[in-house]
Amino acid sequence: MSNHAAPINRRAEIVARYESPVGYVYLVLKETVIANAAKPGQFVMIRGWPAKDPILPRPFDIVLTDEREETFTLCIKLEGRGTNLLNALPIGETVIVTGPLGKPIDDVGSAGIALLGRGVGAAALVSLAEAAYRKKIPVYSILSARSAARIVCRELLARFSADVLIATDDGSEGYKGNGYDLLDKLVADKKIERAYTCGSRRFAKHVQALDANGVIQGYVFLEEPMACGMGDCHGCAVKKATGDGYLLVCRDGPLFRASEVLL
Amino acid sequence: MSPNTSSTTVPTPDLSVSIAGKTFPNPVMPASGAYEIDDIHDRFFSPGLLGAVVNKTVFINERPGNPPPRLWETPCGMLNAIGIPCEGLDYFIKHKLPIMKSFGVPVVVSVAGETMDEWERIAVRIEETGMADFLELNLSCPNLAEGIPWSTEEKTLDEVVSLVVSKVKLPVIAKLSPIVTDIAQMAKTAENAGAAALSMINTYKGMGIDIKKKRPALGNVTGGLSGPAIRPLALWAVYSSYDTVKIPIIGMGGIDTAQAAVEFLLAGATGLGVGMYNFINPGTMNEVIEGIRNYLAEEGYSSVREIIGLAHRAE
Repeated sequence: MSNHAAPINRRAEIVARYESPVGYVYLVLKETVIANAAKPGQFVMIRGWPAKDPILPRPFDIVLTDEREETFTLCIKLEGRGTNLLNALPIGETVIVTGPLGKPIDDVGSAGIALLGRGVGAAALVSLAEAAYRKKIPVYSILSARSAARIVCRELLARFSADVLIATDDGSEGYKGNGYDLLDKLVADKKIERAYTCGSRRFAKHVQALDANGVIQGYVFLEEPMACGMGDCHGCAVKKATGDGYLLVCRDGPLFRASEVLL
Repeated sequence: MSPNTSSTTVPTPDLSVSIAGKTFPNPVMPASGAYEIDDIHDRFFSPGLLGAVVNKTVFINERPGNPPPRLWETPCGMLNAIGIPCEGLDYFIKHKLPIMKSFGVPVVVSVAGETMDEWERIAVRIEETGMADFLELNLSCPNLAEGIPWSTEEKTLDEVVSLVVSKVKLPVIAKLSPIVTDIAQMAKTAENAGAAALSMINTYKGMGIDIKKKRPALGNVTGGLSGPAIRPLALWAVYSSYDTVKIPIIGMGGIDTAQAAVEFLLAGATGLGVGMYNFINPGTMNEVIEGIRNYLAEEGYSSVREIIGLAHRAE
């Protein structure tokens, strides 16, 4: 467990908020330790709405960190009471942050990587794209959603990607159909060493199959309900590929080798 | 504060309590299964500040735990159906128990067996390590087919506690289930069987329904309800048992703040277990310890022992 940065548990001020597209909010929080210590692949647990219902903190991927401004950014899909209460807090208000949590990603390989995000799952891929970009590893991003209005983190990924491809279920933008069709084409056309995916079990299974067939090295971000984010509650269990026992998304992930887990 | 200015101040209240002759520096400890002792948590506060350390229940054999989903949020609470995954007794003794022992506070080892033979074997093995100060018998996990009956039938409860007590010298804490008609009666049964203390309560059995999937929300169908939602029920369990038994009670069920902790002390708890709220705020136990100290100072008490069971006094 020594590869975990020691997390903090304290209040952080909301310094900015912007909604893009409608229904998805970027929240910028001021917290020095997280801005400096968070690594790609890590997340925070957030609480701080008034009263105790809902009672559990909510996990969010750390999208960006800014050491100079001492801030970090989250991308939140407004879909339940917790996220809507969080969104209702005014700028200048504080929330309680526990983090950074999860296993940091230190290794992004040495050749090209493909990122395949479904909906708000794209939020987990941005810090990874940034890390690869800094190592001069070509990044190809594919964003998939039901419609163009649900494509998120597009501009952020564009900063670090050689190309951003769009797939929508309804054809309102880009390729009409499965996002992983674009991944198949990408790995055929470009030099891709690894593929990472987040936001869809269907996509994760596809990346797992590509990995099993030796096409690419596959990595999957997984999500499961969790109460604590640090291995206490054992809620976020995902079955090991070997079938004997479970891994925890919070402690052993949230990123897993595709061959490690049973989906 | 210098002596010149301290004429109106009282000494810092003493938080120490005694259970089965062992001194706990304060009453606060994790409820079993709700706080890992590891390097992530050291950053929040040192486990050496706790009244005791308590592990997630260990069984003799390795266990995978239940299939997900394992959690379901409820109003002011949470259902869990974790199923007590564990690496088994050998791993626990080699890797976890020495860390628990290293903090210099009492070590409460939570154990469970699936058969009478296992209860005996695990109790003896833990005692042989010389690293435990207490054995807590988890007789009450609602998520195990083999769990609940141990403390919901008087005869079985008596048999398990009597057996373990007869095989080890370590003081035995019986962790009781609230899913009974009269928990005070079960408390009495455990005391008569030789328990040195009681932990009460474990979680309540319940369920949630996922209206999108139109299915039970938990993979195990039922789970254990914990959190502030059950606090009034837990408080009543402690209060109603306090006059029935002479042995100390470790109270737990929805302790989230010092205020809740003080309610349990006044109801008759000598020790306090913090469970679910560790998940929400990993600093909870430290805050509760400090908050109890402040309460005692504000109310003019010099020791936490002065308020244990105080709610039972005649008006």
